[in-house]
Amino acid sequence: MRRIPSSGKHRRRRVVALWLAVRLLTCAAATATVAGPLHGDSESAPINDVEAAYLFNFAKFVRWPNSVAGSPLIICIAGTDSFRQAVAGLVNGEKIGGREVQVNRVVSNEAIADCSILFVEVTERTRLASFLDAAKGKPVLTVSDAPDFLVRGGIIQFVLESDHVRFAINLDAADRNNLSLSSQLLKVAIHVTGIPGKGDTR
Amino acid sequence: MRTRPVSISSKLTWMNLMVSGIVLVLAVLAFFFYDLISFRQNLIRNLETSAQIVGANSVSAMLFNDPESATATLDALRTSPDILGAVLATSKGSRFAEYRRQNSPDLLATLPAVSGMRDEVMPRGTRVLLAHPVVFQGKFSGTVYIAAELTEAPQRARHYLTIAVLIILICMLAALLISSNSRRMIALPVIALSETARRVSREKDYSVRAQAPRDNDEIAVLVDAFNEMLSQIQERDAALRLARDTLEKRVEERTEDLRTANRELEAFSYTVAHDLRGPLDSVQGMVFLLQTAGEQTSGTERAETLARLGDVTRSMALLIDDLLQLSRAGTAALQRVPVDLSMIARRIAEELQRSQPERKVEFMIANTLPVEADEGLMRIALDNLLRNAWKYTSHRQNACIEFGFRRIHGELVYFVRDDGAGFDPALRDRLFQPFHRLHNRAEFPGTGIGLATVQRILARHGGRIWAESKIDKGATFYFTLSAGHAAS
Repeated sequence: MRRIPSSGKHRRRRVVALWLAVRLLTCAAATATVAGPLHGDSESAPINDVEAAYLFNFAKFVRWPNSVAGSPLIICIAGTDSFRQAVAGLVNGEKIGGREVQVNRVVSNEAIADCSILFVEVTERTRLASFLDAAKGKPVLTVSDAPDFLVRGGIIQFVLESDHVRFAINLDAADRNNLSLSSQLLKVAIHVTGIPGKGDTR
Repeated sequence: MRTRPVSISSKLTWMNLMVSGIVLVLAVLAFFFYDLISFRQNLIRNLETSAQIVGANSVSAMLFNDPESATATLDALRTSPDILGAVLATSKGSRFAEYRRQNSPDLLATLPAVSGMRDEVMPRGTRVLLAHPVVFQGKFSGTVYIAAELTEAPQRARHYLTIAVLIILICMLAALLISSNSRRMIALPVIALSETARRVSREKDYSVRAQAPRDNDEIAVLVDAFNEMLSQIQERDAALRLARDTLEKRVEERTEDLRTANRELEAFSYTVAHDLRGPLDSVQGMVFLLQTAGEQTSGTERAETLARLGDVTRSMALLIDDLLQLSRAGTAALQRVPVDLSMIARRIAEELQRSQPERKVEFMIANTLPVEADEGLMRIALDNLLRNAWKYTSHRQNACIEFGFRRIHGELVYFVRDDGAGFDPALRDRLFQPFHRLHNRAEFPGTGIGLATVQRILARHGGRIWAESKIDKGATFYFTLSAGHAAS
């Protein structure tokens, strides 16, 4: 499958890119602003719940290499218990792509290789570098709401845009981990970096 | 008088036009309705496909709450002119994104709830509303509503009408061409035929013939029958004319015959009167002589006169007998029986020799086969012929009379030959006329009726008689009887 970034919304993309750059320059100081309740037009759920739902939905638009086919889809959470419970509440015995879904807490860096999705909450960003190292080259979709996540080698980063939860994607990072992301997912991302399809020779 | 000669071909033209017109109208209607139905089905299928694409492309937008992306997807429907508008609703039923064509009626004001996982088609007059549930990864994720108009239907109807009218015009043209052809093939031969028929009835000329058309169709058969009828009429005419001519000729012949017969009869009665008048004058003279000179004449003179008187009256009686015989030969009923002519001839010969035993006459009578004839008449005929021969050989010392027969050209010819006085062959045509005598009455006495009687008898039997002779070299009388009654 060839991955193509969405071609629409160019103007908004540029604005967002500018905004991202500003955010990346002031990364350390900006972390506190993430907290607090948020309101969407259609959903008035707290940001945690939205992010949990998105995390769960990401699985539906990602293709893992064939080597992991049939094994359970394990969502590893490095962060607060409340978030993990929010994700676990969504699973509800559902299967994604025929795979059973489990939600685990990250106990060690070694266990990360077994994860299908690794979510690192911004509260855990001191361990972020070691987590990314552990996940590098493994078929692990790394997701975080840490503001400099994509720069540091993560694949999907949650972004708040006028109180809406959005996300940005680093395709090169996804390639490194042997994952292919659906164009549907790229279409709704506010920002996509990297060259689509690079190294996707499976 | 002249009927419209194009009526058949124009009828054919109208028939062609009617048939092709009806077929065409029916075909156009059938195609139109079929197309209307299939067009509707195609439109709905296209709508379903569009809804499916929109739904599949909007799943991520709905899952990640991105109405702008969904709106962009819906905007793609702008390329389809039939689509009035579309709404993407979330799985909970609330509007997520919307697309509306300008100035389009709002069919999407209220969104009907969709039950199940199948597309629902809801007709709204000339418009249609389609609801397509979006299913992603086995989960109901939202609904795509598309409102569309069947705007192209009336437009297509107009196209159909135009095409139908065009085809009907072409068909009319074709029918006209065909009918002109049919005029050549059907009407013209019929016109030619009726023209001939009119000419025949007007000019009474039955020798004309209608021209047969080249193809071997019913008209050709009709023309043939007509011509045959003409030739039959012609033949009948000819036969009638022939019959009339023959009849006229026969009437003329009969008239001539009657005239001749009448003339003959007149001559005959004149001759009879004349021939009877002669002896009667003698009788009167002698009676006067006996009365006036009765006393002066001697008894011997009176006896002589009386004897002469007896001779004259006998000859008169003989003449009257011969006349009676002639008349009977012409009128008596013919009774055909087998007759032995040789035997009759022998009897007559004996009779003749008995009557004049002093004469030396040799009779040579051949044996003939019996013939079918009237015995009495044949006796009279042979008697006349042999007595004739006997009479005209009376000057000879030794005479010879022969009766025999000969076959000439398959016909049996009898003859009576003598070596007597004979006659001038130039006069032989008059031999068989009554009262015509070729010899002096004093030399060879006779009434002149005998041979006429013979001829009449043979004619009654269907035969004929002729004679050959030279003066003093004898005479031969040949006769035949009708071929059918000749000896077998």
